[in-house]
Amino acid sequence: MRHIIGIINYGMAGNIHSIIKAVEKAGGTLKVVNFKEELKNVDKIIIPGVGSFKDAISELKSSDLFDTLKEQIKIKPTLGICLGMQILSSVGFEYGKTEGLCGINAEVRPMLIDAKIPHMGFNTVDVIKPSILFSGIENKEFYFMHSYEVVNFHDVLSTTAYASHQFVSSIQKGNLFGVQFHPEKSREAGIRLFKNFIEFEG
Amino acid sequence: MNVRIIVKLDVKPPYVVKPLHFEGLKVIATPAELCKKYYMQGADEVYYIDIVASLYQREILLSHIEESAKELFIPFCVGGGVRSIEDFSQLFHRGADKVALNTYALQENPQIINEAAQIFGNQAVVVNIEAKKWDNRWECYSDCGRIQSGKDVIEWAKEVEQRGAGEILLQSVDCDGVGRGFDLELAKKVVQSVHIPVVVTSGAGELKDILELIHYAKPSGVAIASLLHYDKLTISDIKNYLQQNGIKVSACVI
Repeated sequence: MRHIIGIINYGMAGNIHSIIKAVEKAGGTLKVVNFKEELKNVDKIIIPGVGSFKDAISELKSSDLFDTLKEQIKIKPTLGICLGMQILSSVGFEYGKTEGLCGINAEVRPMLIDAKIPHMGFNTVDVIKPSILFSGIENKEFYFMHSYEVVNFHDVLSTTAYASHQFVSSIQKGNLFGVQFHPEKSREAGIRLFKNFIEFEG
Repeated sequence: MNVRIIVKLDVKPPYVVKPLHFEGLKVIATPAELCKKYYMQGADEVYYIDIVASLYQREILLSHIEESAKELFIPFCVGGGVRSIEDFSQLFHRGADKVALNTYALQENPQIINEAAQIFGNQAVVVNIEAKKWDNRWECYSDCGRIQSGKDVIEWAKEVEQRGAGEILLQSVDCDGVGRGFDLELAKKVVQSVHIPVVVTSGAGELKDILELIHYAKPSGVAIASLLHYDKLTISDIKNYLQQNGIKVSACVI
């Protein structure tokens, strides 16, 4: 049976179109999720993210998606992208302290380094444990565009170096995945990552 | 960190044109054709600037943008005539990943930078600066180098960073389309004045110009137009040359 992937829509600020294009190119079937009832009817979840940690969480709360999403990511294969990965954490510190979806035990902190911020551009992802998500695309370059990073020690799938600073560029905890980079903007390697997620059986 | 090799498309719908000194125009091809071509060549990003939208206060022709973004799985930045949060929203809806501001923010309402950064995130807001040299300083221009603003480039660069811009696209009115090298001092000064990435454009006439710019000014990215549009070089020519000269660039794998 073909899985339906629900992509969380955040209203005006959410730039989900690039992701939809890339997932369709990878052969996936998508449904845009605006309400919590729709979330229950999909098989997998993609959480994009635009704006700040605080805005994303308040948007999820005002559209009444927050509690359901928090439950659903425990049972359905989920992929968080960029800020969508960050909000899987327990807490974020962008525009004040905000509680996240608590899918992983992690904090989101500003990247404090002596280099240009946002970290923008293609950079190498060093996969440190085998995972289906990176099957066939281990150690490829992906496109990054962020100023904050996820601080986590238990669920690290890959790291990336920026100006001699090593940060967590993807995580996995069971069926829960998060990538700090934008697979939808990472050429064919990104399409392959979506394909791997589509084919993931959980 | 890799230096980003970006393609810049100056668009006068329905074509990409190449302005000379921001004045005379030469038709190259459609933006969609060029996006596809440069994506296949291994470009890191595409900057699409509608060069007439702000001049005539026209709506950016959204269908061209959508068509260009269709098969482009790299970042796509769109600018030209952006005047409102609604414009940002529409451009994202048609496939843009970043939006570039110039005239409106510079001449009328700099507050739009703050508003857009708050709603869409800093990384999505690019400010395009057109700089023209006067003695030992540079002044910001708008509308393709036609209208003065009285604002100092370095001051404005710092201000847009303060307001929340995530990136600066730095153009030189003097060097654009001439192919005699970049305004190196300008690039270096702006790069050193801000903490956000600066992408430099205007002036590449041959490969060594690009290398010289990277060595001297250390920009985060270089945006190339004429050299590529006239098929003098491909993206891989540029990347291979830079790599041979010790500069880190992203691979040309599609």
